Amino acid sequence: MKRFTLLMLSLILVFILAACGGNNNNNNTNAANEKAPATTDDKAEAPAEVAKDEPITLKIIHWQNEGTNKFYEEFNKKFTEKYPNITVDYTTVPSDATYDQLQQTRINANDTDLLAIKSGFASVPQDWSPGAQDPLWKQWIDAGLIADLSNEGFVDQYNQVDVENSTTYNGKVYGINLGKVSFTGLFYNKTIFADNGLSVPTTWDEFTKLVADLKAKNIEPIGFAGKDVWPINLAVQGLQASIHDDQLTYIKGLWDGSTKYTDPVALEVLDKSQWMMKNAISGFMGVDYGSLPGLFASGKVAMIADGTWDAPAIATANPDLKFGYFPIPGSNDAAKNKDLAGKYDMSWMVLEKAKNKDAALKWLAMHSETEHYTDFTNASGFLPTQDNIPVNSEFIKELAPNLTNFKLAWDQLFINRQNVGDYAKDSSVHAEFLAPAGPIATTKELADKSQKDWDAAK
Amino acid sequence: MYPFGKGLSRHLPLLLLMLPLALYVIFGIGPSLATVFFSFTNATGLPGVDWDFIGLDNYKRFFFSSDSGDRLDAAGRSIYFALAVVFIQNAVALFMAVIINRKLRGDVFYRATFFLPVVLGVTVAGLVWQMVMNPFGGPAQTVLNWFGTSSNFFGSYNVAFEMIIFVQIWMYMGYSLVIFLAGLQSIPKDMYEAGYIDGTSRWQSFRHITFPMIAPAMTVNLLLSIIGSLQTFDIIYVLTGGKFFTRTLAFDVFGTTFGNTTADYGLSSATAMIQFVFVFAVTIVAVIYLRKREVEM
Repeated sequence: MKRFTLLMLSLILVFILAACGGNNNNNNTNAANEKAPATTDDKAEAPAEVAKDEPITLKIIHWQNEGTNKFYEEFNKKFTEKYPNITVDYTTVPSDATYDQLQQTRINANDTDLLAIKSGFASVPQDWSPGAQDPLWKQWIDAGLIADLSNEGFVDQYNQVDVENSTTYNGKVYGINLGKVSFTGLFYNKTIFADNGLSVPTTWDEFTKLVADLKAKNIEPIGFAGKDVWPINLAVQGLQASIHDDQLTYIKGLWDGSTKYTDPVALEVLDKSQWMMKNAISGFMGVDYGSLPGLFASGKVAMIADGTWDAPAIATANPDLKFGYFPIPGSNDAAKNKDLAGKYDMSWMVLEKAKNKDAALKWLAMHSETEHYTDFTNASGFLPTQDNIPVNSEFIKELAPNLTNFKLAWDQLFINRQNVGDYAKDSSVHAEFLAPAGPIATTKELADKSQKDWDAAK
Repeated sequence: MYPFGKGLSRHLPLLLLMLPLALYVIFGIGPSLATVFFSFTNATGLPGVDWDFIGLDNYKRFFFSSDSGDRLDAAGRSIYFALAVVFIQNAVALFMAVIINRKLRGDVFYRATFFLPVVLGVTVAGLVWQMVMNPFGGPAQTVLNWFGTSSNFFGSYNVAFEMIIFVQIWMYMGYSLVIFLAGLQSIPKDMYEAGYIDGTSRWQSFRHITFPMIAPAMTVNLLLSIIGSLQTFDIIYVLTGGKFFTRTLAFDVFGTTFGNTTADYGLSSATAMIQFVFVFAVTIVAVIYLRKREVEM
């Protein structure tokens, strides 16, 4: 009995010691795998070699997007063929709060080598936005959690203006941005338009007439993925991009009080957003974002508010569907409506203390090779951030006239105050609260609430 | 004298208890105490980032900052959620338990059917109800269409929260039912026979025999549903993601910790502490009342 007691006591002690000492073991492993950061003088052509026989599992986290996920599954196979000792653990989760949670927990636990963020580096507090909160990516970089890629050879593969505008912070490159997307337009069904003698509108009046014509022929004009809320905001940003003369000046004005959410120009955005929702398919607030491409591909609606990144998903849902994309014409000035707005989309970052940092850099280097990057842009529908990439997609080629003066959308320019209330939260304009989507009847009432929340957070 | 022997063997039971105790301290009490600690700091949770003690600032921010109104609305919604779930779930479960306890044919089948949602889990239950309430061709919409109306269900500011309450009750009603059934089956038959001889009606029999006799089961069910409903965030996350005025205090703890704009462990820890005090206070009041009621009955 004594022996048994001693055995139990020993087991408990071992367990407690093991639980307390786990972190140290991990740190040692990290240290063994880490390489010294590259100096500014020795610009590396390729990442440092990983011991050939050492089996490595490269951990990558990403969100679900059919086109890009398929590309990465294929690319990861090719990567493993080239580096047989590296196995890729490619984890995807829904792109909503699930991914935000995964990102944070993996970073905090140093349990990934590579992670993607959903845009370039936007919303950095400026002189004109005193007290604004640092975005998460900036907090990570400031905490020394993200690897400096400035000296990696593969950065040179990309257009340096795009590198500067998308993933450069304090003069250093902390990520690789893989392309631009637009989300201020509407996908339209070319067959429905052609069959009914309709053409792409270039002014608001033409747009309202188009919607009326479609309704007269019992065709549902517009579809939104209202259940996820943020897709409604894509259309709102389309209106903002074409109604505001200069979005950035207006945003700066909100900070210094010279412009307000109740200004006529802001009310016009809300009025037109409400008009679009009133003319949308019944039940659009129950449509989740994942179902939107299917709704459009089935021909139930003539147009949907969505980003260009969803073109591959629409094509997959119905390969025979003929569709295009046009900027939402918020004003009656066709020239003002012509240009699409959007953002730098997905950017890859390497964790500074990643267990397999070298393998992560190899992965990015191979991804940046022209052949693989070309495959990626064609799979994702992104506008390339590398020069001279042949774009196969007819969809993207057709957008060329609307992309000559590509501009950043509202949510890439807007910087919010801390502790702001629900009516001015995130990118601050929330048409989803308006009837028929939400409980607020008039745009003036919503604008007043937004302004009140904004002022309260001063 | 010494049931476990002498010497070290005498302490064997205590030693064996140390293992679960150690687990509980490491994974239960430890993180809870850490939450109290972090609620007084500006910790972000990011490794390597310095943090400071900021006193009661997180608590002040919760109650008195410019967006406190939204948080207090969420706390109000928690109370509404708890009241609705506790009363409706237990009333329906008791009603169903009394019916099933009448030795119906197929009572085992009914019991299993009502308990099934408990086994399904939150994600599956959420998926099932999202399909049932799909506004495009879902059976619930079809039924509404028969009456010339329609709904956006979980995408509606008007009904989304009530729909979540409904799903919560559907999920856990079977749990309460099983506990009530156990209580009902422990009531001696001769009490009903005595009542029958005295000429009690069915309602009088329920009111004066059944109801007092299942007081312990009622106490257990009420406490479990009060605590469970005040802590619910998972079904809200699955069905609406906190949109459409469905955020509760428990959901805010999650939202503040894992939001997409910032990592604010200090505020989320303070929110968790407020949530804890809230649940604790309600539970204590409920325990005192229910115990007193049991004694009286």
